[in-house]
Amino acid sequence: MFDYTFQWKQALARLPKMLDGAVITMEVAIISMLLGILFAILLTMFRQTKSRPLNAIATTWIEIARNTPALFQIYMAHFGVASFGIHFSPFTSLLIGITFNNAGYLAENFRGALKAIPDTQARAGQSLGMSPVQSFRYIVLPQMLRISFLPMTNQMVWAILMTSLGVTVGMNSDLYGVTQDLNALTFRTFELFAIAGVIFYIITKVITLSARLIAARLFRY
Amino acid sequence: MFDTALSANDLVFLAKGAGITIVVTAISVVIGTILGIIFGVIRVQLGAVLSAPLTLFLDIFRSVPLLIQLVLANAFVGMVLQLQLSGFFVACMVLSLYTSAYCAEIVRGGIDAVPTVTRRAARSLGMSWGQDMRYIVMPLATRVALPSWIGLALGVMKDSALVYVVQVTELLKSTQILITRLQEPLFLLLICGAFYFIISFPLARFGGYLEKRWSND
Amino acid sequence: MKKYTLTALLLAAAGFAGTAAQADKLDDIISSGKLRCAVVLDFPPMGMRDENNEPIGFDVDYCNDLAAALGVEAEIVETPFPERIPALMSNRVDVGVASTSDTLERAKTVGFSIPYFAFEMVVTAAEGTDITSFESMKGHTVGAVAGTYEAIALEEYVNEWGDGSEFRPYQTQADVFLALAQGQLDATVSTSTVAQANVKSGNFGGIEVVASAPFDIDYVGLFAKRDEYGFLNYLDLFVNQQIRTGRYDELYEKWVGGDVPSLTVPGAYR
Repeated sequence: MFDYTFQWKQALARLPKMLDGAVITMEVAIISMLLGILFAILLTMFRQTKSRPLNAIATTWIEIARNTPALFQIYMAHFGVASFGIHFSPFTSLLIGITFNNAGYLAENFRGALKAIPDTQARAGQSLGMSPVQSFRYIVLPQMLRISFLPMTNQMVWAILMTSLGVTVGMNSDLYGVTQDLNALTFRTFELFAIAGVIFYIITKVITLSARLIAARLFRY
Repeated sequence: MFDTALSANDLVFLAKGAGITIVVTAISVVIGTILGIIFGVIRVQLGAVLSAPLTLFLDIFRSVPLLIQLVLANAFVGMVLQLQLSGFFVACMVLSLYTSAYCAEIVRGGIDAVPTVTRRAARSLGMSWGQDMRYIVMPLATRVALPSWIGLALGVMKDSALVYVVQVTELLKSTQILITRLQEPLFLLLICGAFYFIISFPLARFGGYLEKRWSND
Repeated sequence: MKKYTLTALLLAAAGFAGTAAQADKLDDIISSGKLRCAVVLDFPPMGMRDENNEPIGFDVDYCNDLAAALGVEAEIVETPFPERIPALMSNRVDVGVASTSDTLERAKTVGFSIPYFAFEMVVTAAEGTDITSFESMKGHTVGAVAGTYEAIALEEYVNEWGDGSEFRPYQTQADVFLALAQGQLDATVSTSTVAQANVKSGNFGGIEVVASAPFDIDYVGLFAKRDEYGFLNYLDLFVNQQIRTGRYDELYEKWVGGDVPSLTVPGAYR
C-alpha cells in the first residue's frame, strides 16, 4: 500500500533554514499584532466619537477587514495599491495586510468588551476632573484590554497562521516561503510541509500557553 | 468609470468561480458542523482527561496554517496512499475537519453555558440524558452558539480562498486568471472583494443582531 | 489424481502470473481513455487562455497531440509553477507538459523525457531604469517565478551580488510582469518566449527586453512518475516523432515563430 519512500533525512537537513524562516514569521506576527492593537484602540475611539467621518472610517475599515478573505487583503496591499503608484516590499505588504486584518477583528472585540464596562465609570472619572481622553486612558482602556485578552490571544494565533499567505506577494523569507522554496528544489513535498506544520504547531502552542501564564499572573485577585 | 475589456464571458467565468466557492463552503460547513457537534458533545461527556486525544487532534486544525493542511492532505492522499481523489474532494475534506475543530469549541462553549443546576433539575424531574440534551441543553446552548457559528461559517467561506492550492478554481483563483489575461488588477480585485463582502456582511450583521437580541432577555 | 494436482498447480501458477503482470501507467491511460496533462496556463505562448478562458498554447497543443497518439482524450489540468511536480506526485495528473527544466535535482523525484523544447533566458527591464545588461541588475530589485529554473539561478546571483540587490519570487508569471509593469520590480529574468509574448501583448506598459541572461540553454522535458519506464519510453519516442514528422516545426511556427531551436546537445548522445 505504501510505495512512497519517505526521505526525512533530506528534509531534516534543511531544518536550520526553516527555523530562520520561523523567526521571520514570529517577527511579522508580533509587529502586526502590536500595530493591530494600536490601530484597533484608535478605531474604537473613532467609533466612540460623534464625528461622522471618523465613524465612517472606523466602520469601513472594520467591515472590510472582517468580511473579505485575508488573502485578498494581503494581495490588495501589494498589487492593488500599486495601481496608485504606491509600492511596498513583500515584507511590508504582508505586514500591512495582517495589521489591517488584526485591527478590524480586535476593534470588534474591543467594542464587545466596552459594553461590559459601565458608562458610569467613565463619567465618575470625568467628575473627578479627568478629561474624556484621560478617563478613557486610565479607567476604560485597562479594563477593555483585560476583558479582550483571550480574543487577543486568538488573534495572535491567527496572525501567525496568516503569515503563510506572504508567498502570494513575493515573500520567501518566512517559514512558509522557505518551505515552498525548498520544495521547489527537492520536491520532498510531504516531508517538508509536515516539518513546517510541526513548527507552526509548536509556535502557536507556546503562544497560547504563555498567554495563559501571563493572564494568570496579571489578572489574579 | 472604468474602461474595461471585461466581457460577458468573463463575468460568467467569475460567476462559476463564485459558485465553486459557495459549493465548497456549503459542503464543508454542513459536514463540519455535524462532526463538530459530535466532537463537542463527546468532549463535554468524557471530560478533559479522557477526551485529550480528540482535543489534541482537533487542535492541529486550529494551529497549523490551512495552506499547509491542504498541501499535506493532498500530498498524503495522492503520494502516500496513492488514491486518485479530485482536488475538490480533498478541499472539502480538509475544510470540513477544519470547520469541525472550531465548531467543537463553539458547541462545548454552548453546552458549558447551560447552568448545571438547570440540567440537574431536568434530570431530577425524571428526564433521561437524551431528553435533557434535546429539550434543555439544545435550545439554551443554541442561543449562545448560533452567533459564533454564523461567524465560523463566514470564516470558512473566506478561508476557502486558499483551496486554489489543490487545483480548485474558486473565486479568487478565477479572478487571478482574468488578471493574467486582462491586466486590470485593481478593477478585478474590487469585483472579487465586493462579492465576498456582499455575502458576508449581511450574514455577519444578522449574527450580531441575534447575539444582541438573545443576550438581552 | 496426480494429473489433477498438476493441472491445479499449473492453473494456480497461471493465475498468479496473471495478477503479477500488473497494468502499468501506459495501460491505465489507454484503458481509462483520458490523459491528464499538467500545463502552466500563465506562461504565454506555451500555455495561456483565449477570450473564452479556454486553455491554448504550445503545451496545450502538445498535450492534445500526445493524447491523440495514445488514442485517448486530453484533459488539461492547470498547475501553477510551484505545483507542477506535486500535482504529478499526488496523482492529480498523468504527465507534465509544463515547460519543465530537466534538472538533476528534479530527476531524483520524477522521470524526464528527452527535451521537447529549449528556452533562452532574457532580461526584461522596466523603462527608465539603467538596466541594459544582466550584470547591471546588480543593486536592483529583481524577480522571477518561484520554483523555476531561472528563479533558482537568479536568486544565487542576487545573493552573490548583495549590495542592495533584492530577489522576489512571485507565484505566477503574470504576477511577475504585473509587478514589473507597476514598477515594484526593476527587472526580471524569464524565457525569451514569455518575455516577447508579454511585451508584444501590450498589456504591460513600459517594459522591454534588454539583454540575454548568461544561463545555459534551458532544455525542458515532459515528465512522469520516474518508475513508469513503459510510459517514459513512449514519451521519448513521441517527442522524437513530433520532430521527425515536422509537427514540432509547425507548432513552433504557430505559437512562437522564427528560428526553431535545436533540441540536441552537441557532442552528447542524448
